[in-house]
Amino acid sequence: MNDSSRPLLQACDVSKSVSGPEGRLDILCKINLQIQSGESFAIVGASGSGKTTLLGLLAGLDTPDSGSIRLQDHALEQLDEEARADLRRNLVGFVFQSFHLLPALTAEENVMLPLELEGSPDARQRARVALQAVGLDARRKHYPAQLSGGEQQRVAIARAFVHRPQVLFADEPTGNLDQRTGHHICDLLFALNHDHQTTLVLVTHDTALAARCDRGIELEEGHLLTSGNDPSA
Amino acid sequence: MKLLMLALRTLRREWHLPELRTLAASLVLAVASLGVVATLAARIERGMLASAAELIGGDIGIAAPQAVPATFATAARQRGLAITRTASFPSVAFAQQKSQLLDVEAVDSQYPLRGALELGDAAGRIYRGRAPTPGEVYLDHRALVALQLKVGQRLQLGGRELTIGAELRRQPDGGELLALAPRALMSLADATRAGLLGVGSRARHRLLLAGPPGAVQNWRQWVRQITLPQGAELVTPEQTRQRMRSAFDRAGAFLRLTALLSALLAGVAIALAAQRYARRKRLEVALLRALGSSRKRVAGLLLGTLGALALPAVAVGVLVALGLAQLAWLFAGPLFGDLPTGLPLVPSLAAAATGLAVLAGFALPPLVRLLDVPPVAVFRQSVARRIRRFDALYLFPVLVALGLIWGQSNSLRLAGMLAASLAGVALLAALLAGSLLWLARRMAPGAHPALRLGLAALARRRSLSVIQATALSLGLCALLLLAVVAPALLQGWRQELPADTPNWFAINLQEGQRAGFGQAVGGIGGEHLNMLPLAVGKLTAINDQPIDRIHFSNPRTKDSADRQLRLSWSATLPAANQVIAGSWAGAHPDHAEVSIDTVWRDRFDLKLGDRLRFRVGERSIDARISSIRKVDWSSFRVNFFLLLDPAHAADLPHTWLASFYLPRGHAQALASLSRDYTNLSLIDVDALLDRVREIVDRVGSAVRWILGFSLLAGALVLAAALASSAAERRHEAALLRTLGARRAQLRAAAACEFAFLGLVAGLTAALGAAAAGVWLGRAVFHLNGFVPPLEPLLLATFICAVTIMLLGLAGTRQVTRTSPMRLLREG
Repeated sequence: MNDSSRPLLQACDVSKSVSGPEGRLDILCKINLQIQSGESFAIVGASGSGKTTLLGLLAGLDTPDSGSIRLQDHALEQLDEEARADLRRNLVGFVFQSFHLLPALTAEENVMLPLELEGSPDARQRARVALQAVGLDARRKHYPAQLSGGEQQRVAIARAFVHRPQVLFADEPTGNLDQRTGHHICDLLFALNHDHQTTLVLVTHDTALAARCDRGIELEEGHLLTSGNDPSA
Repeated sequence: MKLLMLALRTLRREWHLPELRTLAASLVLAVASLGVVATLAARIERGMLASAAELIGGDIGIAAPQAVPATFATAARQRGLAITRTASFPSVAFAQQKSQLLDVEAVDSQYPLRGALELGDAAGRIYRGRAPTPGEVYLDHRALVALQLKVGQRLQLGGRELTIGAELRRQPDGGELLALAPRALMSLADATRAGLLGVGSRARHRLLLAGPPGAVQNWRQWVRQITLPQGAELVTPEQTRQRMRSAFDRAGAFLRLTALLSALLAGVAIALAAQRYARRKRLEVALLRALGSSRKRVAGLLLGTLGALALPAVAVGVLVALGLAQLAWLFAGPLFGDLPTGLPLVPSLAAAATGLAVLAGFALPPLVRLLDVPPVAVFRQSVARRIRRFDALYLFPVLVALGLIWGQSNSLRLAGMLAASLAGVALLAALLAGSLLWLARRMAPGAHPALRLGLAALARRRSLSVIQATALSLGLCALLLLAVVAPALLQGWRQELPADTPNWFAINLQEGQRAGFGQAVGGIGGEHLNMLPLAVGKLTAINDQPIDRIHFSNPRTKDSADRQLRLSWSATLPAANQVIAGSWAGAHPDHAEVSIDTVWRDRFDLKLGDRLRFRVGERSIDARISSIRKVDWSSFRVNFFLLLDPAHAADLPHTWLASFYLPRGHAQALASLSRDYTNLSLIDVDALLDRVREIVDRVGSAVRWILGFSLLAGALVLAAALASSAAERRHEAALLRTLGARRAQLRAAAACEFAFLGLVAGLTAALGAAAAGVWLGRAVFHLNGFVPPLEPLLLATFICAVTIMLLGLAGTRQVTRTSPMRLLREG
């Protein structure tokens, strides 16, 4: 865990609701949390508890109805969509449950995507290094359909780390994998997190996986149920 | 009934789906394009055919190259029939420094026997009038404009000064469809006095009769029992109807096939939309099956939903077709003369049936495949995706397309050519799109990220990209061919003519007038004067076998054998002629010899050494075929199918045909020539060429908007493809947005993708149109070096790329606004 006086990510009284046929439905109610730079943080909860919505808000994919979210020194709710996209491109990486690789691009090209978006001149070279780091250099010319689920997730992890993000958001990264492969993927994720000094925010059902994080919270129906050092508790 | 209600409810729930809207729009377009063309064609055809008696100006008649003998008129009068005599011929009118070739019809005072003569006075008032009196002439609007004259002014025609008594608005026998020259109506007495109808003139004489049907039939039977004068033929409404129908069938085939192209492209859009719809319905069908619905019930529901969508769409298509046909009539109707007729409904209903056939052919295969989705697919969707049992069904659209092409073209050969052309353009588009994609992907590592993303998007949907490029190319190719290549071909054709190509012809020159006429032409600045003898005769035997005892299976051959022939002779091989077999006879062969052209060789199956017998007046000549010539009929020189040797032909009764070149602007000088040689018929080739171009322009602009349907159908395919890939695009956009892509970056990638697609479509269309142009230039216009107009074609390619880019950007605008949260919600 990294000691730092200012948190990298901070949510204050964050609320989110949606309109439905039966009126307004509260998804998140006054959530408060702080995540320090370099730490790993788990968000756990049952289906429908609001954890994915919270992840989206913390990553700047959406804005809260009320409350404030600060990523580094930026108040996300005050930024427009384009500014938040810039922030994501520079500070944030993602790993999804369904990998979300583009099927017509090779593994290498998929990893190059974030670099190309920021206009990096040495995108291919850096993508190769990232693929080496996840042990897939030999398969860089393969298309997603030619890779196993575990390999696809490793490509997705390489894509998440390739542009050296400050914070990595992972949404059920082992949800679509068998237990053994999932275990390997988690090892990789935590190892890279450690090596790159990246902050990891993890959404999961898996209590064992949550237990490997430094800290975490548990949500129930949009409310913060527990918070502390042991999110699996 | 329950099922129908369920189908209607399903449609109401699903109407917001873009694929269903695309499907409906495609159906409307297919029915509208087929319907509008068929309605217009039927309207013109019906109008013309319904008034066939008016078209010939009587109930029956005889047409002949010389005045019809009095016995025919006497026999008609004896049977109580009214008669009128007419003669039509080309002649040049002169007035106020202007000259104009006219199609002149000289009529007697009884004209017309059927129908009405519609005239306009100086104030523009329209009235029903009588035949022109001696000294009077009626001109149609085009003639008045060309000569810059008004009713009441005077002009010179056939060497006589005549007063314009009225504007000729409409006459019963309104002449050829899209007649080449403006028309004039004059008194038969004037024409006779001016010597315009003398021996050897090009006039076509007619004796027309009208009266009670029994009397007409009686006269007709009497005519059958006697021998018609040489070259004469009966003119009947049935015959006219038949000729018009066959002429119209040929012209209509092109339009019908163009409309069919739109319908087939709409079919592609329908197929794409139906496929997307079927994909969306997979889970629902699996669920219905799991809940106990039989395959039959599911099929009924799907067909019911499709039918509930199709019937209103077809009805809208019919209404649009009728509305557009009415609008088009206002624009194109005057081209065909004033043909009063109502709006026919049957063609639009037939188009509706064809539209439903297109729908069935293109939409049913993916929907029928749905029936094979097993109930277990509710648990494992991959099972639903693996179903491949009905793949043979995908031949169904191809069969439907081929059937429709065959049905619309009425010709297996034409259908085959069209199907091959469509397949050719499709293959070219597929090859070009595939190659360019491959090339671009090879070069992509160094390319701009937006271009890389755009190309990746195209590569992701490779087959869809090829379908879109092909559909757009087909529509654009047809348009480019008509709008860019055809005018260039005509222009090139005209420019290819050598500078000394004669632009004036004088017909009916007598032997004694030759020397004086030559001097007169030289005096007014005419150059390259050439005179050829012209004898009018008939083929009477081939290899001693009388022609009337030979059976010709081909009606055209029979027609040629019955017709009058124009014969000439020359000691030297004329320009634009090439001997391809045998040898040129020269001036003094031992026996009479004849040179035939390849058209005659093929028509009568002739060979060197065969003997042909001709009768010219009272003389007969037997000639051996000594050579076969290939004639360039597009050279605008005087050409003949049959050329005799001068030694044996010179004493046949004949006149002379003169051709010469007169620089533009000297035409007024011909007025004096026309006065001095009143028997001459002068033909202005420049004016004829100008008229040909004008007709091509006018018909072109009338047809171009119909071709616009093809483009619209191409755009619909694009829309259908966009709708079919919308979910995939939204997913990609969400991913890229999550990774930090700006909207501008997504828009740039989409712009690159669609610009590339447009470029491929434009290039394919331009290449296709250029290739067709080169082929047409070679095969039809004999322009071996014809280079298609590259600049306009490249410009069209560029415009196509930009337009499709803009359409694509408009179609994907919503996609670039996709929330990145979508990705997290998808898992």
